[in-house]
Amino acid sequence: MPSYTVPYTALSAEASLEKKELMQAVESVLDSGRYVLGPEVKAFEQEFAEHCQSKFAIGVASGTCALHLVLRGLGLKEGDEVITAPNSFIASAATVALAGARPVFVDICEDGNLDPERLEDAINHRTRGIVPVHLTGRPAKMKEIMQIADRHDLFVLEDAAQSLGATLDGNHVGNWGDAACFSLHPLKNLHAFGDGGMVTSQNPDLVAHLVKSRNHGLADREQCDFWGFNCRLDEIQAAMLRVQLRRLDAWTHTRRTLAHRYNDLLRPFVNVPDEGPGEHCVFQTYVIKAERRDELKIFLNENGVEALVHYATPIHLQPAAADLGYTAADFPVTMDHVGKIISLPLYPMLTHAQQDRVAELISFFYQNN
Amino acid sequence: MHSTMQVKYSYLDEQFADVETYFQDLRELVSTGEFTLGPFVEAFEKKFAAYIGIKHAIGTNTGTGALILCLKAVGVKPGSEVITVANTFIASAGAIVAAGARPVFVDCDERYQIDVSKIEAALSPKTAAIMPVHWAGCSPDMDRVLEIADRHAIPVVEDSCPAVGASINGQSAGTFGRVNAFSMHPLKPLNVWGDGGIVVTNDDQAAEFLRLYQNHGLVDRDHVEFWGVNERLQPVQAVVASRVLDTIEDLIEARIRNARRLDAGLKGLENYITSPYRPEGYREVYQLYLAIATRRDELLSFLVSRGIEAKVHYPIPIHLQNAARDLGYQRGSFPVCERQADEIITLPAHQHITDEQIDFIISEIRKFYGKH
Repeated sequence: MPSYTVPYTALSAEASLEKKELMQAVESVLDSGRYVLGPEVKAFEQEFAEHCQSKFAIGVASGTCALHLVLRGLGLKEGDEVITAPNSFIASAATVALAGARPVFVDICEDGNLDPERLEDAINHRTRGIVPVHLTGRPAKMKEIMQIADRHDLFVLEDAAQSLGATLDGNHVGNWGDAACFSLHPLKNLHAFGDGGMVTSQNPDLVAHLVKSRNHGLADREQCDFWGFNCRLDEIQAAMLRVQLRRLDAWTHTRRTLAHRYNDLLRPFVNVPDEGPGEHCVFQTYVIKAERRDELKIFLNENGVEALVHYATPIHLQPAAADLGYTAADFPVTMDHVGKIISLPLYPMLTHAQQDRVAELISFFYQNN
Repeated sequence: MHSTMQVKYSYLDEQFADVETYFQDLRELVSTGEFTLGPFVEAFEKKFAAYIGIKHAIGTNTGTGALILCLKAVGVKPGSEVITVANTFIASAGAIVAAGARPVFVDCDERYQIDVSKIEAALSPKTAAIMPVHWAGCSPDMDRVLEIADRHAIPVVEDSCPAVGASINGQSAGTFGRVNAFSMHPLKPLNVWGDGGIVVTNDDQAAEFLRLYQNHGLVDRDHVEFWGVNERLQPVQAVVASRVLDTIEDLIEARIRNARRLDAGLKGLENYITSPYRPEGYREVYQLYLAIATRRDELLSFLVSRGIEAKVHYPIPIHLQNAARDLGYQRGSFPVCERQADEIITLPAHQHITDEQIDFIISEIRKFYGKH
C-alpha cells in the first residue's frame, strides 16, 4: 500500500485525540455489567433524536439493518416495488430485495440525488414507497418528492446514511418522510468504532414495531409478539458515540468550511459541489466531477493523494441486479456522473496545506496535460 | 448457617473487572483504524476455527445472524421448512423465518434436547434442513441426528449458539453439521462486550458464499455479486473474544466443577428437584444449569427472596408465542416441552460462583422443600 501524504481518512488520528474519553466510556459500560440495550443506548437515542430534532430515534446494528427493519416494518410484500436511486451504496437497493420487494431505479439530477421529475414515470400499481438517498451529505429534493408521494399514497423512507445534520430549508433530513435511516459506519461523520445505525421517525406505531423487531420481536423477556431479528446497537458503541456526538456540530462546521474552501480552490478546473438554494450540506464525502477522471485519479494517487470513487459501478449494473433487467442506457445522468465523480479527502483534521497540495496537483494536471 | 447471601446470575462485572489487557488490545486496534472486518477479525476467526477443530470460521454480528447465514448457505429459501425444537431461545425459530422458511418443531426429551425419535415424523418434501440446538450448552445425540439426515439427504445446521466448548466423545459441538452457528452474547461461555456470533464449516463453497453474503455481496469495493446483508463481527468484539478464548478452557472447567457440586448437593431431593441425566462422553458447558422442580414458581420466588438470582428459560415455549400463531400449533402439541416450561428452573452456576455460594443455594432449596 502506498503511503499517502493526503490519506482519504484520519480515523486513528481522530480517535487518538479522544482515546481517554472513549476508553472511559467503554469502562463504564463494563463496570455496569449491562452490555446489551442498556442505559447508554437509551441515552444515545435521546441525544440523537434531539440532535436531529426528531421525536424518536432507535439504535440498530448498522445502516443496512436500519433500512431493512423499517422496510419490513412498513409491511412490504413479495411483488411490491420500491423506488430508489441507482448511484447509492448497494445497501439502499439490497435491503429492498432483502425485505422481499423489487428495487426500481430512477435517474438522478445534476446534484447527484433522485430526480423528482422522473419519479412519476416509475410509479405503477405495485409501487409502495420511495427511498430517496441524501447522497454525500446533500439533501435530496424532498419537497417535490413528498408531493409526489402524497399524491400516490406512497411511503417515503429517507436514506440519510451519509447526511446526519444536513438540512433543507432549515428542516433536518430525516424529518420529511415516514422514517429515516442513518449509518454510523466508521467512514461516516458521526461513527461507531465498528458498525452501527439509527432510525428516526415521528410515527409511534412504527417505532414501537422497531423496538421489538430489532430484538427478536420480544415484548419483554418472555413474550415474543412477532418474528424479528437481532439488530441491536451495541451498548459500548453507544457509549463511544455519545462522546463523539458532543463534538459533531464543531466537526461538521469544520468540514463545511473546508469543503467551501475546496470549492473555491478547485472551481476553475472541475465541477465542484456548490450548495443549492436552501441546502445545508454536511459533505460526508467531497465529490467533484472531473473530465478525464480516471487519469486524474491515477495522477492524484501517484502523487500522494488518496482520491477514491464512490461508486464506480452503479447498482443497476451490478451482477446482483442482473435479474432486474436494466442496461447502461437506462440512466444517462447517472452514467455521466459515474464517469466523472471522484471523492477527495475531507475530514476535520485535514490541513490547509494538505488541501492546497490537492488543489495544486489538480491545477497542474489540467494545465500541463 | 447463612442468614442470607447474594448469588447473582450475571458475572460480567467480575469477569471483566481487570480490563487492562483488553484495553491494550483495543488501543492497538484504535491506532490502526481497522473498524470494519480486517486483521483483528481474521486473527480471531483462525484462532476459533483451530479451537473447535474446523476449517473455516466466519465472525458475524450476532448469533441470530450466524443462524440465518447457516440456513442460507445450505439452501434454505422461501417455502422451505426447517426442523428444530420449541424449547429454545426465540431466535432459533426467528432465524428460520428470517431465512424465508417455516419452522417445524419437534418435542424435546428428558435431557431438554431434541427428541431424535420424533424427527422423521416431522419431515416433509419441503424440509430443507434439520437444526438441532445444543440447548443450555449440552449436546443432543448428534450421531443419530446425522444418521437420519443422511438417510433423507437433508443438511444439518447445528444451533450451537449456547455451546462453545461442548463436545461428544471429544468432537466439538459445531463440527457435526454442514454449516453451524455460535453466539458470543454476553451470557454465553465465550462472550463479548455486546453482540457477536460465528459461523463454522468445513465446506469451502459455503465459506466462500458466506464471506460475500455477510458483506453486502461485495467481491471487492466496487463489485456486488448478489444481494447480501451486513452481518459482520465488529473488530472491537473480535479483540475481546480473542482474549476470552485464551482462557475459555479454564472458564468451562470452573463451570463444570460448579455444576457437579450442585448435582451432588441436589442428591436426595429427587422427589422435588432433579438435574437431567448426563450421559458418558458428553461434555456440557452449562451455559444454563437447568433442573426440573416441583412448585417451580414458588421455589423461584423463594430463592429470589433469599438473594439467589434464579431464572426460568423459558416459561413460554416458542410454539405458544404470539409470533407462532400462524404455524398451527396449540397447547398439547409438544407435551414434554410444555411440562418442562412449567417446571424448569435455571440456577446460577457460572465460573465466578464460590463453593460457599453453591452450598447456600443447596441449603436454601433444601429449606424450601423442608429437607434441611
